[in-house]
This record gives sequence, C-alpha cells and structure tokens, in this order.
Amino acid sequence: MLIIGHLWAVVSRPIEFATLGPFGASPSATWFRAPVRGYSQFAYLDHGYAFFAPDPGPSHLIEADIVGPDQQRTTRRYPDRTDQSPRLLYHRHFMLSEFLNDVYHPPGEPPREIAEDPSALRGWHQSRRRYESVRDSIRNRLETHHPDSQITIQRLQHRPPGLPEFIDQQMPLDDPRLYRILHDSIDGELPGGELSGAVQTIPPAPLAPLQFPQADQRRMQIQNDRSEVAR
Amino acid sequence: MIAQAIRNWGGEVVDAWDRFWFTPRRPHTLALMRIATGMMLLYSQAVLALRLSDFLGDSAWINNSTAAALHGGAFSPPDAARSYLWHLSSPAAIWAHHLLTMAVSACFALGLLTRLTGPLAWFFQLMLVHRMTGTLFGLDQIVTMLAMYLMLAPSGSIFSIDSVLRRRYRSAVQSNRFVAWLLPDAAPSVAANVATRLVQVHLCVVYLFGGLWKARGTTWWDGTALWFAAANYEYQSLNLTWLGRFPVVFSALTHLTVFWEVFYCALVWPKLTRPVVLAIAVAVHGGIALFLGMVTFGTIMIVANMAFISPDWIAELLGINCWRRSADLGSDSERSDAPLAAAAVHSRPVPTAGSLRQPVQTHFQG
Repeated sequence: MLIIGHLWAVVSRPIEFATLGPFGASPSATWFRAPVRGYSQFAYLDHGYAFFAPDPGPSHLIEADIVGPDQQRTTRRYPDRTDQSPRLLYHRHFMLSEFLNDVYHPPGEPPREIAEDPSALRGWHQSRRRYESVRDSIRNRLETHHPDSQITIQRLQHRPPGLPEFIDQQMPLDDPRLYRILHDSIDGELPGGELSGAVQTIPPAPLAPLQFPQADQRRMQIQNDRSEVAR
Repeated sequence: MIAQAIRNWGGEVVDAWDRFWFTPRRPHTLALMRIATGMMLLYSQAVLALRLSDFLGDSAWINNSTAAALHGGAFSPPDAARSYLWHLSSPAAIWAHHLLTMAVSACFALGLLTRLTGPLAWFFQLMLVHRMTGTLFGLDQIVTMLAMYLMLAPSGSIFSIDSVLRRRYRSAVQSNRFVAWLLPDAAPSVAANVATRLVQVHLCVVYLFGGLWKARGTTWWDGTALWFAAANYEYQSLNLTWLGRFPVVFSALTHLTVFWEVFYCALVWPKLTRPVVLAIAVAVHGGIALFLGMVTFGTIMIVANMAFISPDWIAELLGINCWRRSADLGSDSERSDAPLAAAAVHSRPVPTAGSLRQPVQTHFQG
C-alpha cells in the first residue's frame, strides 16, 4: 500500500500539470491528486518534468540599473558568467531571473470581466503582489551590495536567433537585436524598449496577461514548476 | 470458466507484482549511486556556500519572508513545502546549519552511518529546496529524488566506511541488534529492490512526461528544437551552433530525443532494447552536460539511469565478490540467532550464499 501511495504521488502531479489549460487543470486530474497533494509537495515530488518543453524558448534576464550616491550609473545583468562561477552558481542566478519572469503579473486594474468576479479579482491582485514581493526581494539584495543607491530592475527577454539569421546574416547569439525589454505594464510584453528591434520571438512569447481569470490563481501555483525545471 | 480465467489472471498479476517489487537484490548499484548522489549533494551545497547569503537568510535574493509567503498562502493556496530555514536569520546559525548539512552529505557519500545520514541528508536537502524556491532546476528534483530512495535501502552496506566498520566490529554486529541494523551487510534484500524499482519507475515517469510535453510543442515536430537549445546563449557552454550547417543531423537528433523520451518507459525494460536506451541516455545527458552548461544535471540523470544496471554486473565489473566478503563476517542473514534486524531489512526469506552462486544476471538487467 505504501508503494502504491507513493507511486500515486509520483504520477499525479505530472498528470495534473499536463492537463493544464486556459481554465486550469482538468478537474478529474485535480481530484485524482488531492489525496496525495500534501505528501508530494513536502517530498518535493510535485513537478511537471517539462524539460525544454513544449519548445525551447527565449531566456529571461534581469537588468539592474544602479545609480550610486555619486550619481554614477552602472548596469548589471543577471545571470552573468563573468561574475557567477562555477557554472552551477551561474545557473542558480539564471533560474532566479527566469523565476522573476514566470511570476510576472501586470499592474493596474483588471479587465471588467475579471473585476466582476470576486474570486478572480482576488487572484489578480494576489498575483501582482506575488510578483512585486519577488521583485522587491531581488532589489533589496542588490541594495545590500550597493547601499545608498537608487536601483531599478527590469526584465529582459533574449531569444536565440533563427537559422536564417544565424547562417545567412551571421548574427551572433548575443546580438543586441535579439534582446528586448519587457515593460512592467499591462501591455508590457509587446515589443519595445531601446534594446529591441522589430524581431519577433521564436517561438512567440505570450503577448498579453492571462485571458481566463479562473485559471489565474491555479496557474500561479504551477509557476514554481515552470521555473524549477531544467529548461 | 471465465471466472476461473479471471482468477488465474489476477493471481498472475499479483505474482508478477510481488516478483517485481519483492525479489531480494544486491545493493552494489545503489551503493555507487549513493556515492554519486552524496557527492552531488555536497558539491551543490559547497557551491551555495560560496555565496550563502545570496540564497539563505533575510537578505537573500529571495528573502526569508518572501520564501515563506510563496508557500504559506499569501499569494496562492498554502502548500506543504515547508522549511524551518524560512525562520533562520542569524548568519552564524545559517552557516552552522549549512556546515552540518554539508557534513551529513559527506558522510552519506562516504557511507558513514548511512542508516542515519541517509535520511538526514534527504531531510536537509528538502529543507534547502523548500527554502530556495526560485533558484531551483532539474538537478534539485533528481538529486532529491535519489536521496529519498537511497535512504530506504542498505546503500551504505558496500563501498562504504560502514562496511569497514562492520568488519572491524564484527562481534558487536553479531551481538547487538542496533549495531547490526546500523551496519548492514551487503546481502540481497527486498529493501534494495524496492529502492531500485522506485528509482526505475520514477525515471520512467520523468521521461514519459518530458516526452509528452515536448510532443505538445512545434519545434520538436519540425525538427528545430535542438537548434534553438544549442543557440540559446544563456545555456551554451560549448559551441554547438556548427550543427546549424547540418539540418538533417540536428532535426534527426531532435526527433530521436522525443521518440526516446516518450518510449523510454517501455523500451528500457526488455533486455534487447535496454542497452540502446541507456546508451542514448548517456549521449543525451552527456550532451546537456557538455554543451548546455548543466554538467550537474546531466551527470545526475546519468547516475539515475544507473538504476537499470544489474548489481551483479557491477560486482563482476569491479572484480570483487562483495557478497562473499560480507558473508564471511558471519553470514548474518543465515544465522538463526542473527542479531541483524533481518526481518526489518528482508521482509522475504533471504537467499543463501549458495543460491547466490547462480549465474549472474544479464548485464543491465533490472
């Protein structure tokens, strides 16, 4: 019975995760997981195993703009191979920047259809507070390294070049045209910003906040998974 | 007649289940996996120690209060992924705890008091991963999983300090049940088999869902996924973009990866296909380790795949008869008055040394 119970916990989370759609996970998958949810969470078995899936996408970075007490402006980007070594330490910082992007939720009031649903409205605000909490925590860490400085952080997206760009145009992997700023606004993930060009992401990045409020809260729950897989 | 057929089928299913889970198995494979897992835990924790305050404490990237809030219900329903490290603020206390964690991992890797350090290593790792939300990835998932299963088995009974202590304190082992439990012999045991099977089945689940997720994408179907992985600047450790000049090659490798992941759970069991499946596992994870900057993740996945290698083959490969050496210590499991907690370790009758002199299993047998 112990073996069966454990295997139940092992398979139930990936099943639930795989059934996630715009309205959340399949109700039957959620029901199936319910008895072993706590055990799988505590034993760190609650993963979706979506490694490099469904598609290898762009990377997400953190760019910190630091204005010191002497008004000197410096810009730091995370992760940074020159600063974080060995590779595992670099990768931890890489996952941190991906996590900040994963928990991103736009500011402001929600669309009317969300505002009219108390549960969805609560989820909307909770998601934003979650993002702000993570963002502020990261900024506070930077402030310990740069006391008395003004620090702002923003998210960057860095996509890999497509084959034609790489072969025909000989575009390097870190070409500035492959980066774009993800603004903190309700339409913040539309292309824009000083680093961005007219290049489209491949595969396309999400362009809008979640369309389905009922799914929002549950989706926030699964974002740990998305950030914790080896991408 | 139909009822009889159903009864027969049911009986066969139960027998097959029992054989699969409860046939005693030698611990040699698990012992090697213990060394690798313990070393990986230790390395991961040593890397953390380079910038401990970045990851633990009140001024970490994800500080204590944020980590607690992420799990505690402030932003979503609370979960059970709790850690007392959320409440550890003093740098001295954090360092003391981390050094203790590293010491336990080192003991686990060396096989020192593995019955105790195994569960402790798993527990400390759990506390760490529940605290380090936001900076985790596949390495943490797999190494925690392995630590969990290895603590269930007598993985410290061979290739370990425990095995040396067992020889040195032979009389205490024979006269004291606790010491005998603490320093188990390397005899085949049900516990070793259960742990091995759990790793194997868990690995099948990992690959199946990994493959199914890829099958939901488009680039894994049009053959460009490997290119986009290779061309990801943040992942890249060795340049693999030259593959872009060989679209037939990288698209074939893309398709092979999906096929292998989806069908791993079926093809890893037959003797005929197992060596091929494991060889691809080494190639795929070796590639991830070398080219995609995840040496630790690639390595621990290869370690996990070792669960499909027969312990008899490993003993033969290493040119030692570990069982006989252990049995020479008094063949605890064969003694009617054996103080060894045989009942706890071996819930089924344990084969005698004689029965173990049967021909070794086929290589890579599960």
